[in-house]
Amino acid sequence: MAALRREGRRFAPLISPRPITAVRSSPIAPTHEDEGPIGVRYISTQVVRNRMKSVKNIQKITKAMKMVAASKLRAVQTKAENSRGLWQPFTALLGDLPSVDVKKSVVVTISSDKGLCGGINSTSVKISKGIHKLNSGPEKETKYVILGEKAKAQLIRDSKKDIELIITELQKNPLNYTQVSVLADEILKNVEFDALRIVFNKFHSVVSFVPTVSTVLSPEIVEREAESGGKLGDLDNYEVEGGETKGEILQNLAEFQFSCVMFNAVLENACSEQGARMSAMDSSSRNAGDMLDRLTLTYNRTRQASITTELIEIISGASALEG
Amino acid sequence: MGLAGVDMVIVPATTGQMGVLPGHVATIAELKPGVLSVHEGNETTKYFVSSGFVFIHANSFADIIAVEAVPLDQIDANLVQKGLVEFTQKLSSATTDLEKAEAQIGIDVHSALNSALTG
Repeated sequence: MAALRREGRRFAPLISPRPITAVRSSPIAPTHEDEGPIGVRYISTQVVRNRMKSVKNIQKITKAMKMVAASKLRAVQTKAENSRGLWQPFTALLGDLPSVDVKKSVVVTISSDKGLCGGINSTSVKISKGIHKLNSGPEKETKYVILGEKAKAQLIRDSKKDIELIITELQKNPLNYTQVSVLADEILKNVEFDALRIVFNKFHSVVSFVPTVSTVLSPEIVEREAESGGKLGDLDNYEVEGGETKGEILQNLAEFQFSCVMFNAVLENACSEQGARMSAMDSSSRNAGDMLDRLTLTYNRTRQASITTELIEIISGASALEG
Repeated sequence: MGLAGVDMVIVPATTGQMGVLPGHVATIAELKPGVLSVHEGNETTKYFVSSGFVFIHANSFADIIAVEAVPLDQIDANLVQKGLVEFTQKLSSATTDLEKAEAQIGIDVHSALNSALTG
């Protein structure tokens, strides 16, 4: 029984009753020799053939996934681009101050629920952790609000005590403003904050997604910054109509700003997710194609070797009989 | 959503209809449900806004951010009447403060819609 052993055995459901050697995806011929009934040796190509079949199936699946992601991307992309106009006036008015010094900051991490989308969720989590570290100090504290399964899995491991809210299954229904405003309401009600930092992947193009942080300040901090001058100092030049106090209007403004920024962030993240999935699936199908080429060469070599072996045995047998 | 140069805009602020012309003083105003009309030359385009904010900047730029904005001709008058009746009923049968507030909001929006269509 000449069974070649390699490391890392894998139990594959093959036809032969002999203990099967592990097959690794290397170009070195994963042959295995069998003994036939009358001691004729033949080399089986069954293992290679099975592997080729499964790799071909994987290639088809990943190609299909890429096309699905492309069509989903087209649908969400128009929405995302239209929603950009929502928060631009807010930024024009209030500015975006990521470097603002606050006591309580809340990091809202937006991630996807499904996997196979490349590294975008890991980059978001890395940035969230970085912000957390930046904002931790004697009097300062940072809490997390997590949207999406993937960030939850990563952050729950080491930052469990800092997590305030976890929200998943965002994309069950197509994203719309009402849903996001309900979410924003929940967050505003349950979490105390001085500054909200929303971490998401901004969609620049199908191949480029940039992790970004948008900062939304609470009304008290806006007042404080306005008094200290800088961009927000111009805020006092604006007359505020309606309402009893300026504070009331600013409160509404901050909440509205938060929901607009969230809406845009969620849409952009959805776009980035689909785009990243497209490119991940694309490279996966390309890899599968390469693997298939290599396996085909191996298969042919094995096949030819077995034919040659058979011929040799026949001819040597014949010449033994003659001579 | 877009950038356009117009002559005048009338916005439904919480303090009433506010006309905004170039050179208006810088203002932040909250909007209540009502009609937004954009005047350009001799043309007027009217939209119904559910609520939002308007920022008027000192350089004669105005940003209007609305939660929902619908051109008036896309509103169905019958549905508006039905909604008004429904919310009035809800108000009279409301027990908690929350229900009363919700019903009141419904009435406000629908009567504004009504006056937008007729006026």
